[in-house]
Amino acid sequence: MLTDFLQLTVAGLSQGTVYALLAVGLIAVYTVRNVINIAQGDYATLAGFGAIWLVTAGMPLLLAILVAILSVTLVSILVERVIIARVKNMTVLVSLIVTLGVSILLEAAMLILWGPEARSLPKLPGEDLFIGGVSIRSQELWMLGALVVVGGGIVFFYEKTKWGKALRACAEQPVAARIVGISPVMASVVAFGIAGLVGAVAGVVYSPIYLTIWSGGLLLGLKGFVAAVLGGLTSFRAAIVGALLLGMLESYVSAYVASGLRDAVAFFILIAVLIFRTQGLVLTPRQGRA
Amino acid sequence: MKQSRKRILAPLVLVASLAMVLTGCGTSNLGGKKADSGAGNDGPIKIGAVLDITGVGASLGVPEQNTLNMLAKQLKDSGGIDGRQVQLIIEDDQSTEDGAAKATTKLIQGDNVDLVIGASRTGPSVAMRPIAEAAKIPMISIAANAVIVEGSKWVFKTAQNDLVVIQRILDDAKTKGYTKLALIRDATGFGEGVADTITKLGAERGISLVMTEAFEPSATDFTPQMTNVRGSNADAVVIWGITPSAGLAQKAYVQLGVNKPVYQSHGVANAAFFDAAGEAATGAIAPMGRLLVVDQLPKDNPQRDVIEKFKADYSGAFGDQPSSFAGHAYDAWHIAVAAMKKAGTEPAALRDAIEQTKDYVGISGIFTMTADNHSGLDSSALILADAKDGRWNLYKD
Repeated sequence: MLTDFLQLTVAGLSQGTVYALLAVGLIAVYTVRNVINIAQGDYATLAGFGAIWLVTAGMPLLLAILVAILSVTLVSILVERVIIARVKNMTVLVSLIVTLGVSILLEAAMLILWGPEARSLPKLPGEDLFIGGVSIRSQELWMLGALVVVGGGIVFFYEKTKWGKALRACAEQPVAARIVGISPVMASVVAFGIAGLVGAVAGVVYSPIYLTIWSGGLLLGLKGFVAAVLGGLTSFRAAIVGALLLGMLESYVSAYVASGLRDAVAFFILIAVLIFRTQGLVLTPRQGRA
Repeated sequence: MKQSRKRILAPLVLVASLAMVLTGCGTSNLGGKKADSGAGNDGPIKIGAVLDITGVGASLGVPEQNTLNMLAKQLKDSGGIDGRQVQLIIEDDQSTEDGAAKATTKLIQGDNVDLVIGASRTGPSVAMRPIAEAAKIPMISIAANAVIVEGSKWVFKTAQNDLVVIQRILDDAKTKGYTKLALIRDATGFGEGVADTITKLGAERGISLVMTEAFEPSATDFTPQMTNVRGSNADAVVIWGITPSAGLAQKAYVQLGVNKPVYQSHGVANAAFFDAAGEAATGAIAPMGRLLVVDQLPKDNPQRDVIEKFKADYSGAFGDQPSSFAGHAYDAWHIAVAAMKKAGTEPAALRDAIEQTKDYVGISGIFTMTADNHSGLDSSALILADAKDGRWNLYKD
């Protein structure tokens, strides 16, 4: 029983790392631009397909992954420059509609370019582990590692570096930030760059075990959004914890209750948060950042 | 506090409502050229097809679409049927039941097709059935579950019945002395009734079903279900689904280090299974048609020439090898065309001609339809194959 529970935990944690990376991207954009990016999950599938395509064309795996991540980061910045930045009166509602359009556009492009079938990247090097009856795939360790390095790096960037603090200043006091010389344009570009980067990293690390399919991004992005909501849409740390909890909860529910309920878990949580606790898992009452 | 609460609440409500709407809908279909209406008895013959080109059934629908397009072109080049051109109209049902129903209605009402082929999977096929029956238009499904054709006058199908597939699995399990099986099945139409059939047919063989788990064909993580299967005391496990999900399930099962034998259904009779399952595929046993093992068949097998010609045509046109599902589409097309050559396109006469199909040597077997058997295949259409070296091999004929 215990080994089963631990096995489910491992599976849930690895699924959770994907949600966590996507949540980091959503929060990065929301805090700076007040934009909810529905296309966040599509960055993941786009990077997955891009890397698969490059590998098929003969590029070494690691190089292909790197190129795919950089390209998707650029795509995200382009989305910001070409579309988001041109919207005059950006409200949350407008952002939802606009980024939904981006999501549909990206999905259609992937369907046309790479076809409707699910595909996977070769797995990254490493031996699968088997500890006390609990199987841990090497790819799952890569996923966890990606979260620690990339997710952790971004938390560090926001909380400890001057650049990161400038971004947060833009979010909290846009006028004051401009007065002291922080460019809101640059802040927005960096935020979207981060969103593209983390989405792409998620996409290339999960592809070997969960496969990449053109239509997969939307649901993944929404799960990431639920995790972001658990972080009150502002706290990276709380969102990452929330994402891992969400992954584990999905795993337990499909094993102990019914596998059909798996995708419902996230939306149950969303509704519960909406009703009872809009600040999500954030512990201290936030100072209003109006 | 109050203000920030409001600020967060608004986007939450918006996204929550969007989420509910969006996850249900996909993009509009790709195929489906609008055809001029008005099919008479001397105009072009119209054959409609409803396939899972996008969505969870894409690994089935895409090769089926390729096959039908190829065969339609071959027929066109050879001059059609009795001097009449044959027009093929393919619709994508996006692997959904309502998509299949809509596409069928469009083909029958809008395009006036003379016959409809599809769908790729059981659920959408079952959704198509009442529409074809109400319009009295012959329909040939290329999916598996026997419920598609049971008791129907107008509906036929070309994939082997799941009943005979289960028989083959149980017979093999019996010879190996397995008495307890676990089942993990597709939660859609393809997996309906499989547990009951195993329980019923297993009882005659001293085999019991000790646990059943289900999965959505769009699922990507199977550890929870497979952890439960590991905890059961089954001697072997039956994974009943299509690729890629059934391949991922196999991978998750092997990953847990159970080392018990796995049976798969004919839903994994393609190369995509090996893409999804990787090395974990090795050792799986599945009943299927002879297409994938044709090079290992004895020279005198009557299906050999038909299959080899199809494989050569298909790989010549598309560069890769056809799957069993491509074969189901091939058989549906040829049965339809043969019946049209014999009886024309008057629906009742066409239906009768399909029902009289006899000893047609196809890709999935040798078909003989009767009034009681609209599937046309018996267990001789199946072989057992085992997965090794990244392909299916002849295990037992």
